Amino acid sequence: MVIAAFMVAGPVAEQVFGVRTALLRSWTMFSAIGLGVIDASFEIRRPDGALLPLDRFEMLGASRSGGLKRIESRDELASVIKRLCAAAGQGADIRVRARQATRAGWQIVHSDAENACAD
Amino acid sequence: MPAPTDAVGDWPGWRLMHAFAARFVAWAVETEGSSRSSALIRIGLAMLFWSRWAGELLLYRDQSPVGLLLAASFFVATVLLFVGYHSRIAAVWTGSIGLAMYSYFGHQLGREPWTHHHTYLLAVAALLIALTPCGRSYSLDRYLAVTRAERAGLPPPAERGNLWGLRLIVVQLSVLYFFAAFDKTNHAFLSGARIEAIFLWYYAGSDYPAGLAWLAAIVSFAVVALEYCLAFGLPFRAARRYLVLPGLAFHAIIYVTLPVYTFSATMALLYLAYFDADAVDKVIARLQGTGSAGTAKGEIS
Repeated sequence: MVIAAFMVAGPVAEQVFGVRTALLRSWTMFSAIGLGVIDASFEIRRPDGALLPLDRFEMLGASRSGGLKRIESRDELASVIKRLCAAAGQGADIRVRARQATRAGWQIVHSDAENACAD
Repeated sequence: MPAPTDAVGDWPGWRLMHAFAARFVAWAVETEGSSRSSALIRIGLAMLFWSRWAGELLLYRDQSPVGLLLAASFFVATVLLFVGYHSRIAAVWTGSIGLAMYSYFGHQLGREPWTHHHTYLLAVAALLIALTPCGRSYSLDRYLAVTRAERAGLPPPAERGNLWGLRLIVVQLSVLYFFAAFDKTNHAFLSGARIEAIFLWYYAGSDYPAGLAWLAAIVSFAVVALEYCLAFGLPFRAARRYLVLPGLAFHAIIYVTLPVYTFSATMALLYLAYFDADAVDKVIARLQGTGSAGTAKGEIS
């Protein structure tokens, strides 16, 4: 009974009472992996005013399996936007829709209401 | 007028509860059975310990006194566990090393992967198998016991013992499944968002694939429902027959899609604890073409 109680104590301590300890296992699985990842889509305005999908790999000449594939933080997203704006040239209008994975679900971190290059 | 205790004793609900409790106690701590499934888990655990850590603990990797002590201790304990020499002591030793790696080297010294679920599960499983008759079959302990019996002109000792350690493994697995599901029973997970994030992290990168939302939501619900079913259903024979394959498939999918190290393999191995030990014995005897080993009673399910 003592051993069984110890097995139950770990997850109850953390999941019910919010007490975290290294000695007891809470069995909260897949709760941390993937957190922070950014889901982003980019569009660029053509001279005729139409918005077209922007391929960030093509625009920056980067490998699709390289570091640009997964944007892991807001800072990294800001850096990618800056590079895209620089590559597109003066006066470029790039719209970015982005959301970030948090413990509570997706959180919008960038809307496409404004030109991201104007920031 | 009857005494109050008699009145309580006459209450049908009380008698039912008493009968249930007696049956539970008999199942939990009084069951004797074949030691072969415990022995198979013992051998499997030793191999999983090697699979996970042997490469990282080769003697040249960490030549500090503590590192060498850990490596030497690891290899001696796991070899003893594998061959089954002083099996239960070897299991305690191996499990203690696993816990030291998890708590001291992992949490205190910051070796991050050693703090993961698979480390803790392996350590706990080794400690729990020490509570079973894991050395009475497929072991050097068994060989020596048979040799001693032959010299004394006695029949070989029975490959049987109390199975309360296997019951504790069952409890551990149910607790694990229940709280894994309980933690996911919220909007963030059931909406599919956490599965989506995991998929983006490992596969798609920051480009959200079309159609992922529905699939992620369905998978999320299915995972939580399955984990609850496994928590409550696997201990019972009637439900087990429908849950073993989905459970194993679930762990196999996780194993090939996500970096869970030895977690899935450990869970699959520990599923042996759910089955009636005598029924497992009977299957082994049938597979070996030796017929019933004389210890089997039940049907496997």
